Amino acid sequence: MILPMIRARILGPREDLDAVIGAVQDVGLLQLSEVHPSGALRPVEPDARDAREARHLRALLRDVDVLAARFAPSPSPSKAPAPAAFATWLRQFRRVRRDVERLEAKRRALEEERTETARLLEFIRAFRGLLPSGGGTRTHGYHLVLRGQDASVVARLREGLAQAIGNEFVLETAPLSSGELAAVLLVPPTDAPRVERLLAQAGVHELPMPAGSGGKTLGQLGPGLAARRDALDAELATLERERAALSAEVGANLGGARAAAEDRLLGLAAREKAAATSRSFVLEGWIPAAGFPRLTQTIADRFGPRVVVESVAREDWQGESAPVVLTNPRLFRPFETITRMVPLPAYGTIDPTPFVAVFFPMFFGLILGDIGYGLVLAIMALWLRHGGAPGSTRRAVAEVLGAAAAFSVAFGIVFGEFFGDLGLRWFGMRPLLLDREHSLLSFLALAVAIGAVHIILGLALGVYNASRGHPRQAVGKGASLVMVLLIIVVLLAALEVLPRGFMTPAVVGLLVLFPVLILAEGIIAPIEFLSTLSNILSYARIMALGTASVMMAVVANELAGSIGSVLVGVLFALLFHLVNFALGIFAPTIHGLRLHYVEFFGKFHSPGGQAYRPFSHWRPSGSAG
Amino acid sequence: MEAFLVPLTAALAVSIPALATGWAQSRIGPAISASLAEKPELSTTAILLVAIPETMAILGFVVAVLIMLRAGG
Repeated sequence: MILPMIRARILGPREDLDAVIGAVQDVGLLQLSEVHPSGALRPVEPDARDAREARHLRALLRDVDVLAARFAPSPSPSKAPAPAAFATWLRQFRRVRRDVERLEAKRRALEEERTETARLLEFIRAFRGLLPSGGGTRTHGYHLVLRGQDASVVARLREGLAQAIGNEFVLETAPLSSGELAAVLLVPPTDAPRVERLLAQAGVHELPMPAGSGGKTLGQLGPGLAARRDALDAELATLERERAALSAEVGANLGGARAAAEDRLLGLAAREKAAATSRSFVLEGWIPAAGFPRLTQTIADRFGPRVVVESVAREDWQGESAPVVLTNPRLFRPFETITRMVPLPAYGTIDPTPFVAVFFPMFFGLILGDIGYGLVLAIMALWLRHGGAPGSTRRAVAEVLGAAAAFSVAFGIVFGEFFGDLGLRWFGMRPLLLDREHSLLSFLALAVAIGAVHIILGLALGVYNASRGHPRQAVGKGASLVMVLLIIVVLLAALEVLPRGFMTPAVVGLLVLFPVLILAEGIIAPIEFLSTLSNILSYARIMALGTASVMMAVVANELAGSIGSVLVGVLFALLFHLVNFALGIFAPTIHGLRLHYVEFFGKFHSPGGQAYRPFSHWRPSGSAG
Repeated sequence: MEAFLVPLTAALAVSIPALATGWAQSRIGPAISASLAEKPELSTTAILLVAIPETMAILGFVVAVLIMLRAGG
């Protein structure tokens, strides 16, 4: 059902506005709405002080976001702390943000240098003794880094060098831990220009020498580089300690600061919903009828007779604008997930959830209708439920699947199916009421009959909805409902299920109601009536999908015996059952939803309800409540 | 002759609507996928739009079953 709402109005002296907003926020049940200005009553405009405060709060939240992304923040408290520390937090977070950004820039530079130094040291270790000492001029040396460790790269380089300068060169390579290939190339000084051209053309780069190497060769730099690497490690460790100190300084405050700032921003936004004269203010909003006494009591306790809370008469507000809260018994509540997948019903109309809770798993069970598949689905539902938090979508989906599994097992007993005809083969299981595999016409009749009941129920709900404010529409829907019933009577009489005598009065009734239908709903009504009849036939899909499901299962069982090897046959059968089970979950879900949204909801559902969003204290997204 | 025509008619009753369903879904699928990329909240509408043409194939199947049963197949 849809929870009854009250439109509440709060009146009081203007100087109490902020305190009253605080009290309303503490109660957390009133969804504020705009107050229409009239006479001296004007919307409360934010003044310069409010705008400045909002600007500072948003800046504070930006700093909190930046710091929270770097440090592990404390969880936000369930209730926002007092906002007295806003200025302190703003200064502290701004300073820490600057410090941490400086530390990070320095760390990036040091890590880059550390990587380069480590690579040079690895290079030196790989070619100890081969590196030119720099003392003589007999050879010219190049320290190269080749991308990839493919041997063909070296072969191509060697070939290119041989063509350019003959065989007067030494090329030694060694793999680096980075996945690159280090190479030392020694050539006569006279060939150096040609070699450099060749290397440039091949896109091979020399290992960059560290800054401040002062013309020393790599071999001479070795001891200094090792010392520098140790110094870099020490500097990085110091930076990490400084960062940890900053984290410890602000980490504990981040959650509380965010909650307080968000809370205050909500308060400032709520202020703009109020209207005021020079001396008094008015706040209006929606509250569940059951919560109204709590709001009244809280305001009375804090402000006494200075502030008045009253309920606006039902005639003075349009029901359609009230927010919608769905409330259902525990058993039906998971099915609200299905109702919420389409726009919420308008306030004052019918919540379809209880009907969905009965018919959706029933349709699912009729289509799947197998004890074995139902049990597997139940295990899946239990697993899904186990990992889902209470109130989460996962938990709701698991519970809907659980109901669908229960109906599947129940109809499996009715149809005598256990993984198709495996129950018959193994235990001699027989159908209790209906053999889906052979009695196709009976199954079709059952599906269409269930469709007729579902559509008639939808039309009856449509009559009820329309009777509250749209009497002409109610007459039209009522005529459609009676005409559908009369057509069923005619068909049953024609098939001699009912006595033939029923046929003539039913046909006369149809002829009388036809003009009533056109008068009530216009010239388009006959077409809509025909679409209602085709909606009933649409339920034949229950039979079609159900038959396909049982046939697939039977084929899977026959596969096991029809293939020469027992093992291969069983594997094929298992695979076939797996495919059938996947289809057995997918098809009933999609078609069950479709039968509800298109055929059933189309008869009465009035979308347009707004979700209920009460003004309360800020909570982190994803938190319960 | 009837032994040949009855199954053929039943096959046509299910295959022609199935082809029509496939064609309709091939047009709806890309269009609704493009819409979903911009508005993920349309996912329920997407499921419904793709499922609607399946009615043709399902009713074709029902008609095929009826043809076979009436012919005593």
